Amino acid sequence: MIGMDEKLSFFKDGLRLDGRLPDELRPIKVEVGVLARADGSCYMEMGDNKVIAAVYGPREVHPRHLQEVTRAIVRYRYNMASFSVEERKRPGPDRRSYEVSKVSREALEPVILTSYFPRSVVDVFVEVLQADAGTRTAGINAASVALADAGIPMRSLISSCAAGKVDGEIVLDPMKLEDNFGEADVPIAMTPGGEITLLQMDGRLSKEELQRALELAKAGCQQIYEIQRKVLVDRYSHMDDAGSCDEAVAEEEI
Amino acid sequence: MSDVVMAEIRKDYLYHLMLKGERADGRAFDEYREISLETGLIRKADGSALVRLGKTTVMVGVKIQPGEPFSDTPNKGVIITNAELVPLASPNFEPGPPNEVGIELARVVDRGVRESGAIDLESLCITPGEKVWIVFIDVHILDDCGNLMDASSLGAIAALMTATVPAAQYALGEDYPLPVKDVPVATTAVEFGDSVIFDPDTDEESVADTKLTVITTADGSICGMQKSRPGFISQDQIYRIVDIACERAKEIREKFLEV
Amino acid sequence: MDRMDRNVVVPGDILSDDPNRSGEGTYVKDGCVRSLLYGMASSYKDKMRVIPLAGKYVPSPGDTVIGIVQDIVFSNWIININSPYEGLLHISELPRKIEMNEMSKYLRIGSSVMIRVKDVDSTMKVELTMNDRRLGILTRGRVAEINPTRVPRLIGKGGSMINMLKKELNCNIFVGQNGRIWVDGNDDDMDLALKTVLIIEKEAHTTGLTDRILEFLRVEKEARS
Repeated sequence: MIGMDEKLSFFKDGLRLDGRLPDELRPIKVEVGVLARADGSCYMEMGDNKVIAAVYGPREVHPRHLQEVTRAIVRYRYNMASFSVEERKRPGPDRRSYEVSKVSREALEPVILTSYFPRSVVDVFVEVLQADAGTRTAGINAASVALADAGIPMRSLISSCAAGKVDGEIVLDPMKLEDNFGEADVPIAMTPGGEITLLQMDGRLSKEELQRALELAKAGCQQIYEIQRKVLVDRYSHMDDAGSCDEAVAEEEI
Repeated sequence: MSDVVMAEIRKDYLYHLMLKGERADGRAFDEYREISLETGLIRKADGSALVRLGKTTVMVGVKIQPGEPFSDTPNKGVIITNAELVPLASPNFEPGPPNEVGIELARVVDRGVRESGAIDLESLCITPGEKVWIVFIDVHILDDCGNLMDASSLGAIAALMTATVPAAQYALGEDYPLPVKDVPVATTAVEFGDSVIFDPDTDEESVADTKLTVITTADGSICGMQKSRPGFISQDQIYRIVDIACERAKEIREKFLEV
Repeated sequence: MDRMDRNVVVPGDILSDDPNRSGEGTYVKDGCVRSLLYGMASSYKDKMRVIPLAGKYVPSPGDTVIGIVQDIVFSNWIININSPYEGLLHISELPRKIEMNEMSKYLRIGSSVMIRVKDVDSTMKVELTMNDRRLGILTRGRVAEINPTRVPRLIGKGGSMINMLKKELNCNIFVGQNGRIWVDGNDDDMDLALKTVLIIEKEAHTTGLTDRILEFLRVEKEARS
C-alpha cells in the first residue's frame, strides 16, 4: 500500500507507472452480441475495467404513465457489482450511481432517434464487473455499441474517455492509482464529429490545462471510435462476395 | 416487465416432444447443457468464477473482509450470500432490491455452502468475540437462459475453492488460500407431465409444474433441497430425482472441480 | 471517411456526398448522406439505403403477422405481435359475428393467430383484422421466431427462397412480417424446415444463399433416407 504522505513519482523516463506515454490509452478489448436474452449487447475491457452493456427495446413502457406520446424514452442504469471494487460495495444503487446513470443517459440520448418509436422505451443496462477508474466512460462506450447492435437508429456512435492531471502533467485515460492521487479528472463523451455529449470535471486546472485535457480526451475518443466501429463491421465481414448484396435486400410481397 | 404469455402451440409442441422422450434442443431428459467454468477473472475479488450453462451466464465474486462475529457464535466466521437478478440478464427482471426469486436463489446457494460444511467457520476466527473473517458470496446473473440455481451454486463453490484470504492487506499475516473442505453441487429438475427433466431451459421452466433442487456433497449425501413452483411432487419422484442428481453432481464435481 | 466501398456500415458513416441520394435508413448532415443504422448499405434506384441487421418489428398497415393472444379486454383481444406495440383485435374484425360473452371460446389467451394490420395511428395504436379467409387461428404446426429484419431474405427475390423451401420440404410455410414463421407438415419435415429457417436468419447478410440452402437440404435429406 502507498501512504498518502509518501511522495510518489508518477513518471519514470517520461513513462507512466504502467509504462504508458502521457497520451496513451490503456489496452481495449471489445466483443459485441455477448448476451442471448438482450436485444443488443457488448462486453468491454479498458485496462482493468470490465463492463458489460445490454440494450432492451424499443419495448413497452411500464409503468405506463412514463410513456411519452411522441417519442421513446431512454433509461440508463449503471450498476457496480459488489465484488468490482477493493472494498465490497453494498449491492444496489447509491447517489454516485444515480448521477453516473443520468449523465451517461444524457451522453447517448442526443444521437438516438427517439421520435421513431413513440410510447416506447429503450432500456440500457450497464454492469461494472471490475472497476479501475473510468467505468462510466467504459460503460458509455459499451452501451453505444450495444445500441447499434440492437438496431436502434442513431445519428452516430458515441465514444468516451477521460483525461486527468497527475503530478502536474495532463495525461490521457488515468488508471486507478493515478486517479486516486491525481489533481483533476475530466471525463468526456463525443460523436466522431467532435460534438461533446458528456463533460464532467473535478479537481483544479488552469484554462490552458483544461484545453490540453480536452484535446487529449478528444484524441482518445477518436481512437476508441475506430475500435468500436471495427468490432461492429468485422462481425459481418465474412461476406463471400463483398461487391454486391442485391439479393440480401430483395424485398417481396408474400 | 410483464411476461409475454407463451403460445399454446409452443406448449403443445413441448408436450408432444416430451411424450416422445425428446426435448426441443435434442438433449436426453437427464442431460445437462454444455458447462464452461473460468475462475480468477476478477482481480479485485478474492475469488471469482464465470459459469456458462448453455447460454445461461453467471458471475460469482467472493470478497473476504474482517468484521464482527454474531454474538451467539463469537468464534465463528460469517458467510453472507447475495444474488442480483440485474435487469441486464432478462427482459423479465426489473431494477430494484432483490425480489423473492432472487432471495430464494441466494438462500439456496448459501444453504449448499453452509450445510455441506464446505467452509470451516471456526478457522475464520481472528480474535474470538471481536474479529472474524466475513465471506461475502455475490452472485451476479448476466444472462438468464434457465436453471440459475445450478449455475449459481457451481459458480459459488468454484469461486470459494479458488479464493484467497487477504490477510496481508489487513496486517493479519500472510495471504492464504481459503480452506474448502467439501464440494456441494446443486442439480435441478422440473416435472413436466409425468416426466422429469434435468437442467431446464427457460421454456421448460415456464411449462413445468414443479421444480426440485437437490444439493449433494462429495461423499454423495444430501445437504440441501428446495422444491419450488406451485405443483405436486410424489415421494417416488423425489427418490428418482435424488438418484440422478447424485450421478450428475458427481460428474460435474469430477469434470469441473477436479474432486 | 467515405465508406461507400464497404457493405457493412455503422450509424454516422458517410454514404454519399449528394444529399439527393438519401434513402431509407439514412439522413443528411452537412450535405452528406449518412447511415442511421448498423446494417448493410446499398444503392437502390439512385438512392443510398441501409437495411438494418437487427431491430424490432414496427407494424404498418397491410402487414400480415403472427400474434399471440395476451388478454381479453371489453370487446378487444390484446395481441402480442412481437413488437414494442401490442395490437387490438376488435370483436367486429372477425369473419363471422360472435357475442361478447363468447370471446374466450373463440380465441383463448395463448392462442396463435395469423392476422393483418388494419390501421396504425400516429401514437402507434395498432388495429388488427382477421376478416379475410386467408387469416385465422393456428391450431397445428409450429412457430419459430427470427429477427424481423431478416424476413425479406427468407422470402427472397420474387419469393424464390420461400417457394424453394415449401417445394423441397413438403411443408406449408407462412412468414409473418413480424419475424414469426409458421410451419405445418410432418414432424421430420418441420424439424428440417425450422433448422433451415434459423440458418437463413444467421446468414441473411451473405450472398449466394439460395444455392447453399438448396445444397444443405439435399445433403440433409439424403442423410435422412
